[in-house]
Formats: sequence, structure tokens, C-alpha cells
Amino acid sequence: MGTKEEAQGTLSSTDFGVAASAFILNWNTVCSSFPPWTWVLSHHQVEGYLSLENVLLSSTQEEHSELSFPEAGKHSHQEDPIDVDDATLVHTNPCKVHYYDLHIIYCNSYRVPVLYFRAYDSDGEPLEFDEIEKDLPAYSKKALSDSKWTFITQEEHPYLNRPWYKLHPCGTSEWMKLLFHADDALAKTGVAIELYLVAWLSVVGHVVGLRIPFEMMKQL
Amino acid sequence: MASESIVVFAQFQSAVDEGFWHRFSSLKLNKLGIDDSPIPITGFYAPCSHPQVSNHLTLLAESLPSESNEQSSTAATSGGNRNRCPVPGILYNTNTIESFHALDKKSLLKAEAKKIWDDIHTGKAVEDSAVLSRFLLISFADLKKWTFHYWFAFPALVLDPPATLVDLRRASQYFSLEEAKSVSAACNEWRNSSLTADVPFFLVCVDPNSLATVKHIKDWETCQSDGNKLLFGFYDPCHLPNNPGWPLRNFLALISVRWNLKSVRFLCYRENRGFADLGLSLVGEALITVPQGWRDHQCLPNAVGWEQNKGRQVSRCISLAKSMDPTRLAISAADLNLKLMRWRALPSLNLNALSSMKCLLLGAGTLGCQVARMLMAWGVRKITLVDNGRVAMSNPLRQSLYTLDDCLNGGEYKATAAVKSLGRIFPAVDAEGVVMAIPMPGHPVPSQEEDNVLEDCRRLHDLVDSHDAVFLLTDTRESRWLPTLLCANTNKITITAALGFDSFLVMRHGAGPFSSNDERQRLGCYFCSDVVAPIDSTANRTLDQQCTVTRPGLAPIASALAVELLVGILHHPQGIFADGELANSSNSGSCEQPLGVLPHQIRGSLSQFSQMTLVGQSSNSCTACSSTVVSEYQERGMEFIIQAINHPTYLEDLTGLTELMKSASSFQLDWDNDDDDDDCIEI
Repeated sequence: MGTKEEAQGTLSSTDFGVAASAFILNWNTVCSSFPPWTWVLSHHQVEGYLSLENVLLSSTQEEHSELSFPEAGKHSHQEDPIDVDDATLVHTNPCKVHYYDLHIIYCNSYRVPVLYFRAYDSDGEPLEFDEIEKDLPAYSKKALSDSKWTFITQEEHPYLNRPWYKLHPCGTSEWMKLLFHADDALAKTGVAIELYLVAWLSVVGHVVGLRIPFEMMKQL
Repeated sequence: MASESIVVFAQFQSAVDEGFWHRFSSLKLNKLGIDDSPIPITGFYAPCSHPQVSNHLTLLAESLPSESNEQSSTAATSGGNRNRCPVPGILYNTNTIESFHALDKKSLLKAEAKKIWDDIHTGKAVEDSAVLSRFLLISFADLKKWTFHYWFAFPALVLDPPATLVDLRRASQYFSLEEAKSVSAACNEWRNSSLTADVPFFLVCVDPNSLATVKHIKDWETCQSDGNKLLFGFYDPCHLPNNPGWPLRNFLALISVRWNLKSVRFLCYRENRGFADLGLSLVGEALITVPQGWRDHQCLPNAVGWEQNKGRQVSRCISLAKSMDPTRLAISAADLNLKLMRWRALPSLNLNALSSMKCLLLGAGTLGCQVARMLMAWGVRKITLVDNGRVAMSNPLRQSLYTLDDCLNGGEYKATAAVKSLGRIFPAVDAEGVVMAIPMPGHPVPSQEEDNVLEDCRRLHDLVDSHDAVFLLTDTRESRWLPTLLCANTNKITITAALGFDSFLVMRHGAGPFSSNDERQRLGCYFCSDVVAPIDSTANRTLDQQCTVTRPGLAPIASALAVELLVGILHHPQGIFADGELANSSNSGSCEQPLGVLPHQIRGSLSQFSQMTLVGQSSNSCTACSSTVVSEYQERGMEFIIQAINHPTYLEDLTGLTELMKSASSFQLDWDNDDDDDDCIEI
């Protein structure tokens, strides 16, 4: 990573690719108990991004049996009796289950990685941000409201063309700068590109409640 | 009555990713249209990987054939991997909610069950076992409301009498330690190989030395040796400790038809963190009584499998309006922009005040069009435009809401065309157009027109009343008189923009004469600095020359400043009562306002590329906003207005301007009298 970039807390798109490969290897080795990150190529097979999907979160929220089906009550239509036999067990999960998809995508204009995420329930219905907030641990909620560098917005996903939540990147280079310069040792030897994403995720993850395992952090 | 219980299978659960509906909507809009023929789709599932949550049969964007694929009639078999076993399915999408409910679910289920039955009898299910989990989806995609009604069915051939359960326990309790180790290893190998990772039905052979191998079910013959334990394994999506998952139902049907087994030992294969979990997995033994007709291919057994919706037999519905409706997407994008501005640059930005403000624009020409756009950019949603003109051929060049189409056939009314245009830019705008002329003093009204004019006056009065801010954007001086009076009467925020050939004026009117109890000086209005009452002025004026002869750059500049001035007023603690500030002044008050100074008047010149700010106090002789005039209006209402319209000097008389001028000219006369005999040269 060029010292100029490093001084600004940013990285080039090629370096992002390098950092991503290193990150995947690192994560999948160290955190084998976590689901693995994968590298996804975009349609044009030129750019790619990191993806961690279907992360299951058993929510503490209760099942709202009526809320999910706004249309069901509207139709007084009598459904045909459907055959159900004795050998069928109908079961539903006792607690509300939320699924999260996380993507780490390189942003050309800010020259930093950006975390995109979305959440949905077991029916596939997307969750609103206030519902996601309820899932966040307390320290994340605090970090979000206190920090002037963290701002969650909903924008169109660069490849999937649907709205995803993201942590706005405009503050990223500033706190990455601080992160690198805070450690004298790092400041002297320079930071290997490979560690960029671990460092980045250690801050970003904190904001969205994704804990980075200690083993990964030790390398910083 | 048998003392053993029957096997109770846990129903498959469906999950549809948002991406599936997005892709389907696109397919429907771009390719299918009203064609409602069934569509082959692919579902994906994987063995259970969580001790408390069952896995689902999932539909993703990839489940649908791609739009460019010409062979849409063939089943779309997307590549699978260990986490995505592809399963063939079919989608029946209807074009109305009524036809959705009217679908014959019994026969649709039967048709899919028949396909499974056929595959069992022909042997296809042995070669490609995923067909045993074939599924059916019916749906109605409401592409106006972006809601999707749907219902899954997982056809299962019903054993009659049902299979009985002899034994069901954790796999780790069934196998010995050595066997368990070997079974786990063999299963992990099966799961890790790209050739077999997505094959959901298999055989587990354990030889007397506790060595386990996993094989394709077509290799059943090779597993027949004494001393071997043979288990029929399958990827079980269910997590429950006392129930096998749904895929076992058709697996048992296959086993009984093809190999005529009465006793079947099965393995419900489940995982944890990517590896075989024999504590979560189950091993059981079922006894099957092969029904009489089952050897006969022609005799189709009954089928069950419509998915229950939280215990009820109704379809499901999901609303994706927030992520698919373009209007909503436009709204949230616009809001985002403003929020970012507030977050990064201007924390005191009052977005609520902006979005709730109702703005009245008098004039939908060069100034009106630009002001409307700027207001929308600031988040103002409620905009009313008043103009009685039609769009002329020269207008689109300078009036940014119009295009050539608006000029055709005599031209649309500007007020109407502007509203349509605003809606095309931002669908959530609440724009209204009023086609109306503004009554002007010095333009006398014939008596037969008087009622219409009165009506227009009243309408204008009501419009001013019902809005929060008024922009005077017309192109004549006298058309500004009545609106100014009405605004002074109701103390409305009023912004005037006026253009000359290469100069402009943008100003905010001061508060009305009866707006506050204290006697402090009000800021002036457009007419305050003018000692002559407005008369017919189509000549000899430096400002307000009728549209065509101004430098084009002026209107955008003036319009932009007019809107920024309004935003400044909104954010000033004293609002309409705020003092006029000058730019570059050492006035400490102005430095503290986050938006900067709040001027009274801005006069700009393009010939100098310069701009200056001015402050003017109100005049007691003002023909538009003085207390004399406003109280006369309050007392006599429309009668007063008509009088002012029909008699050009009436206002001057009223405010004493006539007196003022008389005394000025009589002063001159006195002079002449005194020096009658002198030879004076008239100056």
C-alpha cells in the first residue's frame, strides 16, 4: 500500500482485492466456527465483493403471528379445505428468527470499503431499520448515536439494484487514519495491505454488532 | 391397534428471498406479460445446520430462468453446491387475485405428485434423486402494489396405511463410537465433493469392521451383503429430535416401490458448522405396509403437501413496496440527501419545517419554474403555481419545466404543464396548478367582467391564506400589488424576484403593518421604496420588463437566491420579523446563524458580475403595505380592490402621495409667483 494512500486511510481497488483474499483466508482459518466469508464476482466478472450471508440471529422479539400477513384477513374468501394427514407435523420456530446478509464492497469515490447489510425474517420479508436496531447489542446502538463518523443510510446496492443498508463511507478514511497512526509500531513499519480489512472491520463491526474474534485482532 | 406410533414427518418450510420477487417482477414486466403458463423454477435447500432452527426450501433470484434464456421451457437447473441442493419446481402465477384463489389446488397437487410417481416408476428418481422433493408454487404478483401472494406445496405420496415408527434416536446413540467416526468422515467426504455435495439422497453402508461408505442410491444392489448395516440417508432440513423431515416421505415411497422393502432404516442427516453432526442427526426404523395398488404405475396414490401458514390453511403475502416501488425509492433517496446535508454540514437544518411548508408561486414562467425546482431540492413538497398563460414555443428554452410537447396545439396551460412536469421529476410532490389571472390596478375592468375579477380576487385571497410562503414571480410591477397587499394583511412570508435586462432584485417583504404590537420599524415591501403608485407600466421601467428581453442567466440566479432566502427565513429565530442584515458586515449576530446572513434585499448585476445587499424600511405612504391601505382593505374588502383597479390615482390619493406630489409642485408654483418679474430660466 502506497504510503500516500495509507496516510489518507484509503486504499486502491487492487489493494482491496488483495486485502480481501487475505481476509478470507485469515477469517476462515481462525474463525472456523463462524460461517465463512466468500468472494463474489459481479456480473461483469471484473469487480468483486466479500459476502457473508444467511447469518442467523435468534431474536429476542416475540413472534407476531398476525402482523406478517396483512392481506390474510382482508379476504373473506373461503379457502378450499386442504388435505392434511395425520403423518404431517406442522411446526414453526418458537422465537423470531432474523437473517442477515453482509457485503463488503469497495467504493471508488471514497476509496474505502463499505459495509452493506440487510435483514429479513424467515418468510423473506425485509426488516425495517428500527427492527434491525432492536437486534443490535447495546454497545452498537451507543456507537451509532454517539459517533459523528457513523451514519447508516439506505441506498441502492451497486450490483443487486435493491436498497440495502450501509454504513456511509464518508468518515471511513478519517478513522482509518487515526487507527493506523495511533499505534507507533504500525506507523513506523507501515501497515500491510493484508491487515487493512481486519482493522477496518474491527471498527465497523463494532457499530453493527459483528464481533471480530480476538485471534484476528491480535495480529494488528 | 398397533402399539407403535406412526411416523410423523415435519413439514417442509418455505423461504422466498426478496431477490426472487424482484427477478420475477422483471420477468413478468419485460417478457411474460399476461402469459400465465407455468414456469419451471429451482428451489434450494441444505441439511439442517442449527439445533434450534429448521432449514428452509429457499427461492432466490437464480431460481427463475434468466430473461435472455430462450429455452425457458426446460427446467432451469442452476448449479448447486453443498449449501444449495437444487430441487425442481413449478410456478403457476395468475394475473388476478380472484384467479389465484380460484386455482384448483387439489388437481395441481395431484399433477405434481404424478410427476414424482412417474419418476419413481421409470427409475428417474434413482438417477436424479432430487426430483423426489419436487415442489409447487402458486402466486399472484400484484405489480401495482408490489405485494406478492403465494402458496407452496411439497407433494408427498401418502402411504395408506401410514408407515409406523419402530425406533427413532440420535445417530450418535445408534452407532458405536468407531462407526460414528467412520460415518461422519464418509458423510463429510460426500458433502465436500462437488460431484455429490448437492445429491440429497444416498446410502450409508457400514461393514462389520465399522467402516462406513456413502454411495449413490442407484448402487443399492452393491450394498447387499450380510453383516452390512444399510441406512437410507437424506439431507434433513428439520432440526426436531422426534420427527424426520419431509423428504423422507417420498424417499420411503421410492424404496417401497423399487425395492419392496418392508423395514427401512433411515438416517436424517443434519450438520453443524459445515460438518456432520451425529448428535443432531437421527437414525430411525420404519415399517411400511406396501399399499395394494402401488406396484401399478397407473394407480396414483393420494398426495398431501400444501404448506400451512402458522397452522392456518391460507396463502402467504409479502409486501415489497418499500424496496420496489419507484416512488418510494425516490422519496427515500431525496430524504437521504437532505439528511446527509444535515449530518455532515448543517446539524441545525430543520427538515421538518421544509417538508411541511406550503409554497404559493405566483407566476410559472422563467422564475416560477426555477423556484419550483429549487424548492423541491430543499425538500419542500407542497407547491401551488398560479399562471393564466399557455406555454409558447419560445418558453421551453428559458422555463425549465416545459418541453416542446407542452407547446403543441396552442400550448398547454402553464400551471397545468408545470404540475405535470414536477410530478415527473419527483412523484411524491404535492403540486397544484391554478389557471388564473392576477387582477392589476391601472387595468380597468369593464362592468360585465367585474364579477369574474372579484372572484379571482377572492380566490387569490384564499390561496394566500392557505399557504405559508408566497413567491411573487410575475413579470409586471402592477401584478405584484394585490398579492403584496394580501400578504401584508395576513403577515405571510413574501419573497419577490424581479428581472431587468441584466440586473435583478430578490427581496423579502417585511412583516405586515398590524403584525405586532410594538412600534418597531418594519422592513419594506417591493413598493415601499417607490413613491409612485403602480400604473400601467409596459414601458419605461428598468425592472419587470415582460420576459423576453432579459439575459437568460438572470432567472436561474434570481430564483436560486429567492429560495435560499426563504430557507434563511425559516431558520432564523425571528422569521419574518428578522432584521435585514448586510453581507460582509461586522454584525456579530449574523455570524452565529448557521446559514449565514439574512439580507432584506439582494440586487445583482450581470454586467458587473456583482451583487449587493440592501436594507429598506417600510414607508408609511406605501400603496401596498402601509397601515392606511391594509386597514382600508380590511374594512371594505373587494369594494376597495375594485376601486383601486379601476381608478389609477385612487391609491395615491389614499396614501397621501397625491398630497405629497401636490405640495411638491405647489412649492414650485409659489416660486414662480414670487419671481414673476424676473427672467427665470426653467430648469
